[in-house]
Amino acid sequence: MGRRRNDLLQYSRPTLTADAGGLATKSEPPAPRFVIQRRDTSLNYLTTHARIVTAFVIREIATRYGRSPGGYVWALLEPVAFIGLMSLLLGSLGRLPALGTSFTLFYATGYLAFSMYKGMEGYLVSAISSNKSLMSYPKVSPFDAVVGRLILQGMTSCVVTWVIIYAAMWTTNQPITLQWSCIVEAIAFAWIMALGVALGNTVLFFKFPLYQKIFDIVMRPLFLLSGVFYVPSHMPHPFSDVLLANPVTQVVVLFREGFYVQHGDTGLDMPFLIATSTGLLFVGMLLFTIFPVARARD
Amino acid sequence: MIRLERATKEVRMKGVRKMIIDNVSVTFPRGKSIGLLGRNGAGKSTLLQIIAGTLELDRGRIIRQGKISWPLGFQGSFQGNLSGEQNVRFVARIYGVNTDELVAYVAEFAELGQFYHAPVRTYSSGMKARLAFGVSMGINFDYYLVDEITAVGDTNFKRKSQLTFKEKLSNSDVIMVSHSTGTLRDYCQTGIVLENGQMTYYDDINEAIDVHESNMKRH
Repeated sequence: MGRRRNDLLQYSRPTLTADAGGLATKSEPPAPRFVIQRRDTSLNYLTTHARIVTAFVIREIATRYGRSPGGYVWALLEPVAFIGLMSLLLGSLGRLPALGTSFTLFYATGYLAFSMYKGMEGYLVSAISSNKSLMSYPKVSPFDAVVGRLILQGMTSCVVTWVIIYAAMWTTNQPITLQWSCIVEAIAFAWIMALGVALGNTVLFFKFPLYQKIFDIVMRPLFLLSGVFYVPSHMPHPFSDVLLANPVTQVVVLFREGFYVQHGDTGLDMPFLIATSTGLLFVGMLLFTIFPVARARD
Repeated sequence: MIRLERATKEVRMKGVRKMIIDNVSVTFPRGKSIGLLGRNGAGKSTLLQIIAGTLELDRGRIIRQGKISWPLGFQGSFQGNLSGEQNVRFVARIYGVNTDELVAYVAEFAELGQFYHAPVRTYSSGMKARLAFGVSMGINFDYYLVDEITAVGDTNFKRKSQLTFKEKLSNSDVIMVSHSTGTLRDYCQTGIVLENGQMTYYDDINEAIDVHESNMKRH
């Protein structure tokens, strides 16, 4: 992405570095031979932003894990360590998991589906605030930062999910037929929802700092309420309905349908999941468009 | 050419409102550098941000023809954990210029030596400023935005920076905010005085400076 085709550049005349008086002073550095010279047609507009998003992705890879040794490898190691530890803890309780025979696979499917939403949302919501200084470049649009993180987190979590799922499938002796359509749909809805919530919260957090505190506190038990280490439809009646009214739970249920053949009602409600995720995306984009907070002063 | 059409901008900061420009229409022709004058808090920097495009107008519109820079010497974007070189690459990618050429240009211009490949957080403030100025000089713009030009580095580096910038201005224009009338006379041919939400354009920078100085005496 770094090199542009030459026909997009207009070369200026080479600079002379010789001194007029012939005195041996230090020569000036050569003037750069490139000039940005493109009109903003819609295609150029797209390629410009594709270029900026790429720059963001490269920058994020280099900086996300900052000074910790190993750098971006932690994006993979963190969830692997967490799932390994949790499945060890839950497995040591001695019972069989609610689905299948492997605690590791059961827990991994729940956790990975949950973090498809939570990991993405948490990473996107800080896309603007942690790149605030870059908004001083007129070329950069705030949305570039969001898209850059969306792509990076998307690729990362897909790799993480792939590695962990295949590792977890070694821990079960049952043959598993993956239903890819369920898995892909669950991931897509998780991301749509995460993008919507993150865009909306970018605006709301800026306008109402108190709301950010409240949101953080209210969302803390989300992990417990999303059906990660239990099956919502197995819960007692009024409680299971409440759990299934959480769209993140629906994502987890849908994701698990890609792994387990289940008999009876799993509580999956596709129209509800489609409506909530697209609705959240619509509201989020609307807020983000109406209130240009990205370049507002604190 | 940059043209403001019926442009209005009011800034709101913690309940305080301040009208920066109120229904202003003005055209800045290409080929002449402009000095921006006005008292403290008149909104000169805000106006510069509007011209850059990092701040939206409340009403009216702005038409820009030509490439406009970020504020000259801006260093806020440097990521401390990235090396100077990596930071330069990032800017090159954003602006779509050849990354290797820009990296080489800044390496020679900023004279950072081995530090060029070290994280920016290890830099002294002077080194950071040299890096920032080098990046600004490495990309050609039609308009350079300058918010209070600050000299960086030792005498040699200052002279070199000045020479390079002056040379740039043979093909480019500068839009400059400065409280130093000497600097404005040095770099600019025309001027704008910002006062009470009104913007007045003067073909001659000296006239603009005179008006600004008489404004200042009135209060």
